[in-house]
Amino acid sequence: MAKASAPKNDLLKGTLDMLVLQTLTVRPLHGYAIAQQIEGLSNDVLRVEQGSLYPALERLQKRGWVTSKWGDSPTGRRARYYTITAAGRRQLGEQISSFDTMLAAINGVLRRS
Amino acid sequence: MSLLDVLKYRWRVLKNPRAHELETGEELDFHVHLEAMQREHAGDGRISSAEATREARRKLGNATYYREETRRASGLQFFDTIAQDTRFAFRTLRSAPTFTAVAIVTLAIGIGANTAMFSAIDALLLRPLPFREPSRLMAVSLTGTPVGRGGVARDDLVWSYLKFQVFRDAQTVFSDLALWRESMFTVRSTGDALRVHGEFVDSHYFPTLGAQAALGRGFTPDDDRQLGGSHLVILSQELWRAAFNGETSALGKILDVDGDTYTVLGVAPAGFKGLSGESAFWIPIASMRPEWHVADDPWAQNFFAIARLKDGVTPEHATSIVAGIGRRIDIAQPDTRGTATPTRFGATARLLDATRVDVQARRILLILFGAVGLVLLIACANVANLFLVRANARRREIAVRLAIGAGRWRVIRQLLVESVILALLGGVASLGVAWIGTRMIASLHPGSALRSQTVSGVRIVEFVDIHLNVEAFLFAAGVAIATGMAFGIAPALKATRPSLTESLREDGSAQRAALRRFSSRDALTVAQLALAVVLLASSGLLMRSLEHLLQINPGFDSDHVLTFQINRAPAWSRDSISKFYDVALARLAAVPGVAGVAVVDCPPFSTCSRAPIVFHDRPPVAHGAEPVVGVHWITPSWPSVVRVPLIRGRYMMRTDDLDRQKVVLINVAAARAFWPNSDPIGKTVSVGGPDTATVVGIVGDVLYESMIEPAKPDVYVSYYQVPFTYRMMVFVKTKVPPTSIAADVKRALAEVAPGFPAYDFRPLTDQFDLSTSDVRVSALLISLFAMVALGLAIVGTYGVISYSVAQRTREIGVRIALGATTTNITRLVVGHGVVLAAIGGAFGLAGALALTRLLRSLLFGVQTTDPLTLAGIAIVLALAALAASWIPARRAAGIPVVRALRGG
Repeated sequence: MAKASAPKNDLLKGTLDMLVLQTLTVRPLHGYAIAQQIEGLSNDVLRVEQGSLYPALERLQKRGWVTSKWGDSPTGRRARYYTITAAGRRQLGEQISSFDTMLAAINGVLRRS
Repeated sequence: MSLLDVLKYRWRVLKNPRAHELETGEELDFHVHLEAMQREHAGDGRISSAEATREARRKLGNATYYREETRRASGLQFFDTIAQDTRFAFRTLRSAPTFTAVAIVTLAIGIGANTAMFSAIDALLLRPLPFREPSRLMAVSLTGTPVGRGGVARDDLVWSYLKFQVFRDAQTVFSDLALWRESMFTVRSTGDALRVHGEFVDSHYFPTLGAQAALGRGFTPDDDRQLGGSHLVILSQELWRAAFNGETSALGKILDVDGDTYTVLGVAPAGFKGLSGESAFWIPIASMRPEWHVADDPWAQNFFAIARLKDGVTPEHATSIVAGIGRRIDIAQPDTRGTATPTRFGATARLLDATRVDVQARRILLILFGAVGLVLLIACANVANLFLVRANARRREIAVRLAIGAGRWRVIRQLLVESVILALLGGVASLGVAWIGTRMIASLHPGSALRSQTVSGVRIVEFVDIHLNVEAFLFAAGVAIATGMAFGIAPALKATRPSLTESLREDGSAQRAALRRFSSRDALTVAQLALAVVLLASSGLLMRSLEHLLQINPGFDSDHVLTFQINRAPAWSRDSISKFYDVALARLAAVPGVAGVAVVDCPPFSTCSRAPIVFHDRPPVAHGAEPVVGVHWITPSWPSVVRVPLIRGRYMMRTDDLDRQKVVLINVAAARAFWPNSDPIGKTVSVGGPDTATVVGIVGDVLYESMIEPAKPDVYVSYYQVPFTYRMMVFVKTKVPPTSIAADVKRALAEVAPGFPAYDFRPLTDQFDLSTSDVRVSALLISLFAMVALGLAIVGTYGVISYSVAQRTREIGVRIALGATTTNITRLVVGHGVVLAAIGGAFGLAGALALTRLLRSLLFGVQTTDPLTLAGIAIVLALAALAASWIPARRAAGIPVVRALRGG
């Protein structure tokens, strides 16, 4: 199976999981809204490809970090809404703290602080 | 709860993968839909909705790929590939039918035969006896002192009622102990008469074994006391159902046992068949007729004893105490027969479990188990070889699959799936083999197969109890399948290592491996052949023993002779015995189809009486140092009924009566041993007592105790002159098949001696067969195993040689191109097979010489180094090598040069 070539601004898997979980902390969202949120909050710097987003959502469900439920969207079509679980919140906290540690470490190497 | 969420998700996905996929599609559609709306909105009317949708789709890219990615993330892909692998595995196995068939058959035989054999071992030796705490039960026997010089002390004698009372009152180590004996009876309730086994027991029998009546009550000590009364019966569940439809109202009803009426007292628990293993009912010993003098004759030794250890008493301690108590038996019941050397009795005890199968039968079973274990080893080697060859043959295929992008794990999993499927098919087939095998072993009834009658009388362990043993099946299957996997996967792992180019090249490492002088496949084949040789040697030696055994002339003619036992008749006096013989023998001789009738105390192949002999034609020897002879009571017609030839002198006659000079016949062995240089006829002797008797005739030797040892000195005395009534066996020479007139004979006897116990009707040939059955059964089964082993080894050798021919196609092509003839090539390939067979044969013979020593107790007239057997093995092995390499050799010789050189 050929490896998909990563688009320039594609996110590392772990990072994408973290961002998805973060967007869900406020309220349940459907896939498109999650992508919009991430792109919007990052001022379009981070782009979320559907090809990464939906597998990521499956992965998060498989691990019990989010659950999903079909509901009505404002456009009238059925949409799958994702909700973060308690385990998901715990995971998010851990990921953010380790991300912070890493960020600090990288900054240290780059002598920025 | 996160775990719950996980499970819920997995369940939803697995429950309906198709729905999950549709939902994923719908979600992506929805995404595109929103994206399109967004674009249309941003375009502010300049973009049509259709155009926006197209844009959105383009942005989405390869939807199918995303869908697949999503599917993989959901964990469903694993199942997809397993299904794929399974389909593919079936296709591959179908495309290699020979490999598949041979692997399945090998697994089936290896696993099946072991399961069957272990099931037998389990039933006969391992499974706990069906009583409460069977490990606390001991069989207690009388012991006797050896009689005369060279006599053997007995430690397995049965008890008389009186001697047992002495022992029971004195013993301190058992919480309870009981007497019992088995017999055959005819029972009748309302319907037809049934011929069944039953047991005479005392009231301690059920409590000692830990069994309680399922219905009604058991016997009480009161039931032991009313001698000749106590006509009570406890039914087995089977007889209860057969005779009383399993109704509770059976209690208090009447059961007719051999013409006497018995009142039903209770019903035994389900599955309880007594120590004899086949008892249909139990009646008190006290119900035996007073005329039988069972309860008042210290010499009426009829009963087995069973005892349960007190808590805290070890079997060893009990045995030593029992030996001490045994000495009191003679004090209470001294030997009053007036023989020169009175028998001194004692007692001994052994764990019931140790007596379940006699020593020889146990040894045979273990030898057979060892043999079938060798078959399993051979099967494993064969499977290993098959998988090894196959995995090597597929290196190229694997390399190709790796080259076009299959993951290493993916390839290994594919091979694993293939092995598992093969193993499952083999496993199912082996269940069939195991089932047939257990049926076959179960059909060998112990009475006609292995001697299982033992010192304790226990025959609970029946061959019909042999059931397929699940643990054994799992063990054998596990070993065989693990072997296949290990040998199938290891080369695959090696093949999946990164260096692809080598495998892809036609004459890569595989070719080099084939050119190596001695490969691991060769080693496996040699091991197989060696193991097969061990079995062939065992089978050959046993067959030769059997051949020798069957050639032995036992000294009598067992053809067309019906035998049965009779018991001591009612209230016989010394004078009435002769009259009984006259009347009974005359009546039996008048039965149509009867050619002759005789009575003997001891049939061939059983332990007969022995006594010291005193010669009056020479100086007396020290007391106790007299030679010992076998003593046989006969009626005068006996030698003619079983055709024992008269060598000199005369037979006994009816006129040699109580009031005449006693006469004896001696056998040739006795004449040779005691009168090597003179004529024994007319000499006087005393046998086992003070009376003198004249030797009137010399008759041929009869092998009584063993077919294997030469005849010992024997003396025949007449029932008419030495009244003896403890043991009587009637021999009826018939003109028709013996068993066909058994009923007539019995009826005729009942006419002249009503109520006279006659039982155990069987042809004399049964006794004869029984005496060789241990060798016969082991020879048969080991030969079967040897054949299977040889078959597997031939298949294994064939596989290796064909593989090597396939690998060496190019080399052979070159040889042919350079002028090698068909003969040269054939010789090259067959040579390979012969070399394997020679090495395997050498190892195998070394192993056989070491292992066949275990068989020694079964061998007769043949040494473990028997040249004929060894030569036979060499020939068989040479033929096997030839058979295994001939077809590959023909194939090699027929290789088209051009194709071979092109590397096809």
